Amino acid sequence: MSTQFVQALWGGILFGSVYGLMALGLTLVWGAVRLLNLAHGAIFVVGAYAAYFVVSRLNLPILVALPFGVLAAAAFAYVMHVVFIRPVIGKPGFDNSTLIATVGISIAVSAAAILIFNPTYKVIPALIAGNFTVSEVQITKQGLLVVGTSLALFGLVYLFLTYTRLGMAIRAVSQQQEAASLMSIPVERTYGIVIAISGALAGLAGVLLSPFFFLNPNSGFNPMIQALIVTIFGGLGSVRGALVAGFVLGIFESFVEVYYGVAWAQPGVFLLIILMLILRPNGLFGIGEVRRL
Amino acid sequence: MLEIKGLVAGYGGGEVLHGIDLSVNEGEGVIVLGPNGHGKTTLLRAITGLLPPRAGQVLLDGKDITRWRPDSIAAAGLIHIPQGDLLFPEMTVTENLLMGAYNRGTWSERSTRLARVYELFPWLKERGSQLARTLSGGERRMLALGRGLMSKARLLVIDEPSLGLAPLTTQQIYASIHKVKEGGLSLLIADENANHIAGLADRVYLLETGSLVRQGAADELLRDKALLESYLG
Repeated sequence: MSTQFVQALWGGILFGSVYGLMALGLTLVWGAVRLLNLAHGAIFVVGAYAAYFVVSRLNLPILVALPFGVLAAAAFAYVMHVVFIRPVIGKPGFDNSTLIATVGISIAVSAAAILIFNPTYKVIPALIAGNFTVSEVQITKQGLLVVGTSLALFGLVYLFLTYTRLGMAIRAVSQQQEAASLMSIPVERTYGIVIAISGALAGLAGVLLSPFFFLNPNSGFNPMIQALIVTIFGGLGSVRGALVAGFVLGIFESFVEVYYGVAWAQPGVFLLIILMLILRPNGLFGIGEVRRL
Repeated sequence: MLEIKGLVAGYGGGEVLHGIDLSVNEGEGVIVLGPNGHGKTTLLRAITGLLPPRAGQVLLDGKDITRWRPDSIAAAGLIHIPQGDLLFPEMTVTENLLMGAYNRGTWSERSTRLARVYELFPWLKERGSQLARTLSGGERRMLALGRGLMSKARLLVIDEPSLGLAPLTTQQIYASIHKVKEGGLSLLIADENANHIAGLADRVYLLETGSLVRQGAADELLRDKALLESYLG
């Protein structure tokens, strides 16, 4: 295999799993709560800075910082639910008020990150250092870890939704909210749990990805935009769609970048999306108007 | 076990129920008869918390549950089989049934309960892995009923068991409700057809434009064909 090909493929797999990991949280929250969470990138940043704090100020190893970052992100997402989302559930204007609230939260988080930590770029150490070479392409072990973690989490979320009491209840709430409450499922608490899980996923992405491109108060923005594209491509609310679309877009982008230059990567992706939306307006795995979990 | 006092409920600016008094005793079958659009569904929704009442009280075993959320009311054993069945469309028949046993104390007994519901509706077992959205009207009704029976129901509240069903399916549905009642479960059923409920009902209430206009023992009221005809047409 040529160096170019291996480079494009590896880059694509890495991008794809990153996009997928971010999209998984977004699509879960959309599927269950019908909330387009534009604070997903901010939650990513909260997780990353929490881990940075543990590493740089408390001088603890990254292995301790990782779970701390994940928990901080989940807690942040849950508090966001309690304060901003829960009060407007079922009220007219839910869509608009949550869109505005989540954008506001994003702005507040990056401002807070600047105030607390200053705006200079931070370094979060990799969980595993080192790399090896395949056809002259350097593959970092952290990259492999990201790919493995992302795939494992997709598997776990799938098993959780399919076989556990709570996971099934989340699907029930997403498909028929009123009936779910008649089954004694506490709807609003279930929403809170989904949002916290989604937050944990974003926080994990924040800690695992920051070693690749320095952490700054707006680090979460690009991953979130890519995840939004992936989520639309895969079908809003579809877990399988997020996985497949993450890799399709990641690999496509990477090949365009390697063979036609960086300048074409983003336009290429948008071209693909436009084509796909013409052919399948509900996304790869969207059925009907909205796909449910 | 269930007592309702002066229940007032409605939607938006309109008041649908104007002070309902009603009770269901342990093991009793109580039917609310009334034509379409006179507030039967509203009454059941107000009782099980789907529509918060504007005034009045709902008491379960003497405990005031008027302001409880629907999930807490369901957990207390008041199980509502709603109009339109409200199945989980993208879940299989078995998964739908399992959701009926969601409550913590019930979940650990889900396999024995599932076996019991399959015994009552053997048909459901054959379709276990089929998605609920692919079922026919009669099949959906059976699944909705079976899902309600997965819970530790003490009082089953059923909204028009035969609505939209073919005559043969209607018979099957009422036959299974009979079996459920023989098992000792209390029933509160809203219906618009007096013929279906003979033998199921101990007491009957007649609902007209949001008020209960008559009540009495089922054998007396249901024998009075002239009265029933004037109410139900």
